[in-house]
Amino acid sequence: MAAQRAGQKRKVVEVPRPEPESEEELLGDEELNGAFDEGSSEDDSEDELDGDEFEEDEDEEDEEEELDNDEIPSSDDEEDVRQQLRDLKTNGRQTPPQKLMGSETGVDVSTLSPETPMKPLEDGAEKPNCRVETDANGNERYIYGEIDPVYDSDDSDAQVTANTIGNIPLSYYDAYPHIGYDINGRRIARPAKGEALDSLLDSIEIPEGWTGLTDPETGRPMVLNREELETLKKLTRSEAPGEGYDPYPDMVEWFTGPGKEEVMPLSAAPEPKRRFVPSMHEHKRVMKMVKAIKDGRIKPFKDPTEEEREREEAEQEFASYDIWSNEAPRPDHPMNIPAPKLPPPGYEESYHPPPEYLPDKHEREEWENQDEEDRDRDFLPQDHAALRKVPGYAGFIKEKFERCLDLYLAPRVRRSKLNIDPESLLPKLPDPSELKPFPTWNDTTYFGHEGRVRSVAIDPTARYIASGGDDGTIRIWTFGTGRQEWRIKLSSEDSVSVVTWRPGHNVCILAACCGETVYFIVPPPELIHDDIQAATRDILDAGFGYAASNPSKAATDKSKVSAVTWSRPPTSLQDKGVLLTLTLKSSPKTLTWHRRGEYFATVCPSTSSTSTAVAIHTLSKHQTQHPFKRLKGIAQTATFHPSRPLFFVATRQRVRVYDLQQQKLEKELQPGARWISSISLHPMGGNLLISSYDKRLLWHDLDLGSTPYKTLRYHSKAIRSVKFHPTLPLFADASDDGTVQVFHGKVVGDSLENATVVPLKVLRGHKVKSDLGVLDLEWHPTEAWLVSAGADGSVKLWT
Amino acid sequence: MATNGQTERAAQVRIQLKTKDGEIELPQETGPILVSTELKRYQLSTLVNRLLDTEKPIPLEFLINGQFLRTSLDEFLTQNGISAETLLNVEYVKALVPPLHVASYEHDDWISSVDVLSSSSQAAQWANTTDPIQNRILSGSFDGSLRVWNASGSAVATGQGHKSRVNAAKFLSPTQVVSGSMDRSVLLWDYKDSQTSTGTLKPKLELVGHQSSIEDLAVHAPSSRILTASADHEIGIWSTKKSEAPAAPEPTTTPSSNKRRKPETTIPQRGALALLPGHRSPVNSIIFDATDPTVAYSASSDHSLKTWDLPTTTCIDTRTTSTALTSLCHLPDHGLIAVGSAERHISLIDPRANATKVVAMTLRGHTGWVHSLAKDPASTYQFVSGSNDGTCRIWDIRSAGNEAGGERVGHSVFVIERESQKGAKKAEMGDASRVFGVAWDAEVGIVSGGRDKMLQINKG
Repeated sequence: MAAQRAGQKRKVVEVPRPEPESEEELLGDEELNGAFDEGSSEDDSEDELDGDEFEEDEDEEDEEEELDNDEIPSSDDEEDVRQQLRDLKTNGRQTPPQKLMGSETGVDVSTLSPETPMKPLEDGAEKPNCRVETDANGNERYIYGEIDPVYDSDDSDAQVTANTIGNIPLSYYDAYPHIGYDINGRRIARPAKGEALDSLLDSIEIPEGWTGLTDPETGRPMVLNREELETLKKLTRSEAPGEGYDPYPDMVEWFTGPGKEEVMPLSAAPEPKRRFVPSMHEHKRVMKMVKAIKDGRIKPFKDPTEEEREREEAEQEFASYDIWSNEAPRPDHPMNIPAPKLPPPGYEESYHPPPEYLPDKHEREEWENQDEEDRDRDFLPQDHAALRKVPGYAGFIKEKFERCLDLYLAPRVRRSKLNIDPESLLPKLPDPSELKPFPTWNDTTYFGHEGRVRSVAIDPTARYIASGGDDGTIRIWTFGTGRQEWRIKLSSEDSVSVVTWRPGHNVCILAACCGETVYFIVPPPELIHDDIQAATRDILDAGFGYAASNPSKAATDKSKVSAVTWSRPPTSLQDKGVLLTLTLKSSPKTLTWHRRGEYFATVCPSTSSTSTAVAIHTLSKHQTQHPFKRLKGIAQTATFHPSRPLFFVATRQRVRVYDLQQQKLEKELQPGARWISSISLHPMGGNLLISSYDKRLLWHDLDLGSTPYKTLRYHSKAIRSVKFHPTLPLFADASDDGTVQVFHGKVVGDSLENATVVPLKVLRGHKVKSDLGVLDLEWHPTEAWLVSAGADGSVKLWT
Repeated sequence: MATNGQTERAAQVRIQLKTKDGEIELPQETGPILVSTELKRYQLSTLVNRLLDTEKPIPLEFLINGQFLRTSLDEFLTQNGISAETLLNVEYVKALVPPLHVASYEHDDWISSVDVLSSSSQAAQWANTTDPIQNRILSGSFDGSLRVWNASGSAVATGQGHKSRVNAAKFLSPTQVVSGSMDRSVLLWDYKDSQTSTGTLKPKLELVGHQSSIEDLAVHAPSSRILTASADHEIGIWSTKKSEAPAAPEPTTTPSSNKRRKPETTIPQRGALALLPGHRSPVNSIIFDATDPTVAYSASSDHSLKTWDLPTTTCIDTRTTSTALTSLCHLPDHGLIAVGSAERHISLIDPRANATKVVAMTLRGHTGWVHSLAKDPASTYQFVSGSNDGTCRIWDIRSAGNEAGGERVGHSVFVIERESQKGAKKAEMGDASRVFGVAWDAEVGIVSGGRDKMLQINKG
């Protein structure tokens, strides 16, 4: 503590002082005294603390001190005494060793060196505590002042060691009048001894405490005082050395042992008064300093030397560079990334959060199982009973490391991250449930066909379903019951490739293509009323009448196209309702009616001559026209426009639109399909659906140009057929993968708005047989019902 | 958990038992009874039976707030958000005994319609005869014939007269039968039933006028009226009396083909009193109002249910639904009409003018067209439906729950499978066995016929 004070003082008081030394010394003395005054108690306590672990030399000291007293303890007792002394010290009730030894020692010293000027101990290192004199040789000689050991200094060296002869027998000095030398080289006179003394002793009563021993250091007889004698007496009698002395005191575990852990290192002792009373001396000293500062004798800070300044500068440079020290608010700029504003810590961050903030087992598990980047918090609230029980932050090093990595690796550019919900980028499709009705359910399956069903058709009154298949039969079914009402076998070899009903409610004609022949069939009277039947017969027979009335024209027609023949079938077929046949050169794969039912077109893709592939027939005149002299590509299918005199012809890769009145090509569509299988025109006529064998379904908006408006690829195999619903905004396609897919296709009359196409439903049910799935489909004219023809020989109704 | 269970076990609720059926009324007013919420229907039924002191326990069903108790009381309270501290008004009714298969009569062809004549049937009540009436079942078949069966399963009489399949057949009286056919004619038959197992069915009158097949017909003997629903979008009103009916319309077209043969036996032909156009699609079903014979209801494929006033032959009201309608059944006590649809459900439609909602309730469960509906003669709440999916289902309009969107949705009480299709795969069943006609009689039970050519009788 003294050293510390000295350091402080040194720092503060650096200037050479004009004040007289004595005053300064006085100041120093006072300070020292004060310091030691405080320190003495500490030293005592330290002694007490270390009592058991006294070093050996100290023990020896004790021994010497004991010897000093000229009393000779018996060798047996010696150890006991030593032990006793130790015990006394440990108990703390004993006076310090100096005191134990008696004041005589100190007195001795002072008496031995009375003339030595007492020089106060200099504490400043700068102040030399020696005089410089010239020795005999003229060299400088340092004469050190007397070391004045303060009586309660803890410096063990300051012990009064009178004799300096060292560890040699005293007998060496027998011949001398002195027994050695003191520290200053003065002789220590031999005390009276020998016969003279003996005689004196004889004459004198043995004084109390006489031991008969001589202190080897001082040469004086060792004398024990009364207390010591008392103690020794008790020891020899194996008694307790003092009143109320407990030789076996209970071990008081002040600082160790269970329950004695030091919780609070502060003492509960009441504060001494002096801590509250301003010290007068301190005040004086402070006033002195104040005066010195006012006079300019003391400067608060030492002017740094050049070297120090340099060093300090270097230190500063190395130590800190606060990048935010002079940060000014900057205007908002994309390149300026302001420091993130963190929310104030909440209960979760507390070291002792309320129990509701603590995660339960489940939450903890969940948090631990989460990916680190997915966690919404990077810590779990933890409960500690006290702040001092909070452990060190486990992730400290890792976090610092990562922070450094971030700083090192992070590119200093702001990444423009698009904060857009991916859902919002998708076009807003209506929910399928809002687009009801559409077919979802296989209500009825019509069994009966042997082999594939090639074609289905629903009659205009929506009561019957006609189907034709590979077994050469046409069957008529009713909707709700699934009953086969009627069947006719047209051929045993050829398959019925197309069945269609003639549009119009007043007559009921079923046209079917079987082989190279088109049959016109009237359903039996059980199914249709007599009136309708009669009307149908009239229409079918009208052509014969026309041919009869205009024989010349008929003849010229015939000469032109000899291959096409309109004729009555044999009576066996007539009885069954087949009233008219039309034989073509090649087998037609498509038969499509004009909306009024007067005209129909056939397409024979397999014909050799491209000129006769497409034919438009007039039913009432039994007339056939081949509109195309030369058709580029192989015609696949054709259809009439519902309201305008337009005719759509699809070749394998193109769809051409012809104006029948002006007889010119109106438009050419390039759907990009490799092989078109079927086309369907929207009932409003502005949109065309094209299905292709290369799995694509193409939506053409005829106003938008020659490329498809939408391409739908949902099937895994070729699409066979596609149909728009005649009244509802629906369309469906049939594929070889055995599925029928239903779409919502809404066409708005407003040309500004595009058509919306929403996939609605995949209808599964048809079995795939020899790589063929669903071959044809047909919509109910008013309901959202769909009829599909499958290669598995079944016709299915989907509602 | 354990404490929860204990509290639940301890939970009790006060119930007030009552019934509208005098037969099973409690002997004395019991007042509220404290029962555990753990109880289910069976325990409650046992409790009431004990209170009634019945010799043979009567199975009972329990209605709370118009809903059948199907779970434990506790679950019911939780589901409906009722506090267990309130007094529960529990109405108990005789439970419908599960209909068991009684017999199946084999037919030559698919059966399109069935009707029952018994002492309690409507035809017998109209006739008001003192003669004992044998239980007879009438079936119309796809082969164009009518058959009358007795209770032992043999055909008493067969009526051959239609040229095409019979779509509807009904007893007009114990001695008269009406049938409508796909050949656009309605035939009135004389049925003579000898006490032995033979009878005769002779066509008496042919009613012609429709342009297309007769899909359904309804009869009302006291006013001697027949109503027909036809695929030509019209409704016909006919009289059963030869004198009252106008002459049959002459065929407009001369029979150009010699193929069309005239029937050898000439049956007097009569025309319709009125043919009412109005529907835009084939009319699939028609019924008389059960209480007022001057009102009729018709259902059509054009999604509409029309109410007709017969004396003025006008359409009073049109209710348009979202699906094609196939069958009708009037529940007069609740002012509702059950309408079977092609969308596989049955809607309860309130035809009264002040009804705010078109569809009061939807009954779901069928997986095919609902071809036919018949009312339970014993209960005003129950009816049976026959469907394309090969099942008949019994419905109780009280057993309904609310579904999302405020729609009331009911589910069937019992499902009657086709006896002929036992063991068949579910997927094939629908196509192999469709139920086209169903009738419910108090004595005979539920009679149904369909595509499996079997007339099946189930009785509870």
